[in-house]
Amino acid sequence: MGIKASWEVKPHVAIIGAGRTAFGEQWYKDPEKLMMDAGVSAVESVDLGLGRRDIQACYFGSFLYQTTNKLGLVSGHMARELGINIPMNTTEAACASGGSAFYNACIAIKSGMYDVVLVGGFEKMTDRSSKIVDDLMFAADPYEFDSGFTFPGLYASMMARYIHDYGFGDQRCIEALAQIACKNHHHAVNNEYAQYRRDITVQDVLKSPLIADPIRLLHCSPVSDGAAAVILTKPELAKKYTDTPIYVIASQQATDDISLYTRESMTGIKATRLAVGKALGEAGISIEDIEIAEVHDCFTIEEAMFLEDSGYYENGKAWKGIYESYESFKGSKHIPYIKDGKELIVNSGGGLKADGHPVGATGIRQIHECFIQLRGKAGKNQVDKDLNLALCHNIGGTGGIATVHILVRDIHE
Amino acid sequence: MSEPITRRKILVNYRIQASRCADCGRTYFPPKSLCNNEGRRSRMNFVDYFYDKGTLASGSAIRKPTNKFLHVGSFMSAIVSFDDGKIRIPGRITDYVLPEEELDVTQFIGKGVIPRFRRLYTDGPQGLIYYSSLNFSFEDDYYPYQKYVKVKSSNVSELPGITGYGIYLPKFRIKSEDESSLGVRERTVPFVDEDATTFAVEAGKRALIHAGIDSRYVKKCFVGSESAPYAVKPSMSTVCQVLQLGEEYDGGFFSGGIDSQFACKAATDLFIDAAALVAYPTFGGEYVMVIGSDNSQAERNDPLDFTVGAGAAAFIFGKRDVIATLDYYVPYTSDTSDFYRREGQKYPRHGGRFTGEPAYFKHVVTAMKTALRLSGLTPKDFRFVVCHSPNAKFPYLAALEAGFQKDQIEPGLVVRYVGNLYSGSSPAALAAVLDIANPGDRILMTSYGSGAGSESYIFTVKKEIEDKRERSIPIRHQIENSHKKYVDYNTYRKWKEIGA
Repeated sequence: MGIKASWEVKPHVAIIGAGRTAFGEQWYKDPEKLMMDAGVSAVESVDLGLGRRDIQACYFGSFLYQTTNKLGLVSGHMARELGINIPMNTTEAACASGGSAFYNACIAIKSGMYDVVLVGGFEKMTDRSSKIVDDLMFAADPYEFDSGFTFPGLYASMMARYIHDYGFGDQRCIEALAQIACKNHHHAVNNEYAQYRRDITVQDVLKSPLIADPIRLLHCSPVSDGAAAVILTKPELAKKYTDTPIYVIASQQATDDISLYTRESMTGIKATRLAVGKALGEAGISIEDIEIAEVHDCFTIEEAMFLEDSGYYENGKAWKGIYESYESFKGSKHIPYIKDGKELIVNSGGGLKADGHPVGATGIRQIHECFIQLRGKAGKNQVDKDLNLALCHNIGGTGGIATVHILVRDIHE
Repeated sequence: MSEPITRRKILVNYRIQASRCADCGRTYFPPKSLCNNEGRRSRMNFVDYFYDKGTLASGSAIRKPTNKFLHVGSFMSAIVSFDDGKIRIPGRITDYVLPEEELDVTQFIGKGVIPRFRRLYTDGPQGLIYYSSLNFSFEDDYYPYQKYVKVKSSNVSELPGITGYGIYLPKFRIKSEDESSLGVRERTVPFVDEDATTFAVEAGKRALIHAGIDSRYVKKCFVGSESAPYAVKPSMSTVCQVLQLGEEYDGGFFSGGIDSQFACKAATDLFIDAAALVAYPTFGGEYVMVIGSDNSQAERNDPLDFTVGAGAAAFIFGKRDVIATLDYYVPYTSDTSDFYRREGQKYPRHGGRFTGEPAYFKHVVTAMKTALRLSGLTPKDFRFVVCHSPNAKFPYLAALEAGFQKDQIEPGLVVRYVGNLYSGSSPAALAAVLDIANPGDRILMTSYGSGAGSESYIFTVKKEIEDKRERSIPIRHQIENSHKKYVDYNTYRKWKEIGA
């Protein structure tokens, strides 16, 4: 288990702190205040202490701040909040804004330019509840908007095609795509930050209101407010800040057409495939080595597609693996996917579905989840096994961009 | 959106325009300037799929639409493949009402779909109305797929006349429930995304297909309507842009035309102008298209509210391969305020008790009788007589008074099944008899427009009508179509008012 003996890849980046806000409806917090709360909690989480002025640069990820929150120039807002005048950059990559900000921050550390950077992701989606369905379509193609599509509608088209091509009328395929939501809700029960901390059943999902057939309400991640932040440093400096840093051993991003209809496949995400492939190559491991994965389950079909795009399950067969894993689960806390007797726990904190999906925050929240799980600091929600390797998968739009990061706790010194 | 964005998108949206690499053939929607294979060496050409048929690749039933599409309610959006799967295009499925229970979208995968020019949404009551051809109806539904084949002309007629026509009647209907409908048994109802401009485009498209002519040679287009979506901004320019009337140059076309207004004879009044133009050397064009299109307006519970229909009729006039020559023309006009609508008012109103006797009958019968007298013909010389049909009673009585018999009148009384099409009314009646006419048949057509005026035209049917028949979608086909759907009064009002 863990890194192969032949592994000689040196980590480029170390994570020394991570913090977040609760996700959900945060009526009384401005977006920059949410970001500030997450940032402060990240700074305070650094075991051996980190001063605000030790941060040399900030990388933020957010999607709809200009439209939904009527804010621009995030750097200026955050300079005022933090009271420091360091370089700050904001990345907009729709739902992968957080993952892409993290990717850029890794490049900054790897370049040697900075010793310590803060990466933050935030989103406050409830400011224009009546317009959020329209606003989210900025992450899609205008022709898709003009065709009446919504985000659930685009993913529903992938789901319909998946069911058509691979389900062959088998009800278990439909159930498997509901079980993903049940699993992720179950994972969130003990997550103190999660938006929905309650179990749901397959029947709850299949009887929930129709949003974009075949997608129902409980196939969807929610509209959320929230922020998350992590502190990065060079691996060689990590032990100055904590005895248990988490190392980034692969940081990859890939892109594809903004429009679902022009892509090679409607039942898989090429950007995921490319980014996962490159990340596994960079880390010198295979997908089977991963013990926990944070997967972008904006809609349950996306988690199923990840399991195929990453090579964990064969194309068209993820639903069978999901169904069998879910049905055979006998434990109490985390429901793993099983392949050849090995387990992979996906979305240990509830994923986008139950933890919540404040778009720009999600990619950083995923890093936060892996950070606390790998360090054994997830409290009541701690996975019941010693974990060492984690993967974070964040995608933007319907697959126009994907970032994949691989994190490890124990490295060969 | 904005006007500049719209103008850029129109070029792609209206015709489903794509670009194709001249070297490797790879095709791109939306169009790209570089081929992924050829890079900077790319030589890209435009192609379009306006007259093509697609296949549904996937889709979903949108129950919680964006605010822009809230007015449509629930609907299906889809991804459609064209060109044997070479490209995929997104679009909304139109003329389809979702069931309340879950829709098994997978049953539609692989189904043929046809592009339809429809309204998307508006920027509020003062902003632009957006249209697109990225809307699709199912091939096995109400509208059959028709190929657009440009046929080389063989005969040039001495007299100009009709070279092709197309009638567009929406799929939805409302049944009449009482006697106030004056013989109108059911009426056409626009779907929620239709208006007089979309009808005009569909009718024009059918007329081009029926005529088998190249749209490049249509140098003028008139669109008559009293329910044009804009007070200022012609429907004609939209029709021209979508149907590519005239030679293309720099995103525009060398053709002209206007929207016209004369209540229900806004289109027919221009039949003679169309015929005159194609006979006039300075015009320099081969064809003129005249469209009468109305989402006929009536106030809730007004007597007209029980007879109005919706649809359009397009006629192409020329001298090549004429199916019916235009032989006589008699106009008759007086300032009679039987029916009018002031600028800014939503619905027209009736003037006193003028509607029947001093308005409709006086003008229609005068024009008809004069046409008979001037042509030296008698009712016996005609196979068919058609009149403007606000209901089934008026045209019948007018024709009887002019000396015609029941069997000459009945075939044109399609108003019973389609309702009052306003500007499209007498043209639709003309089309109904042309659908079944034989070479040599004579037709007397008389229009009526409130305000008030009539004109009578005498047509003689030519043998070319038989060659073109297979390219038409006859009115009967639309009236008796098993896919037509009935809606209730509230749905009819809602859909009609959205496209008003």
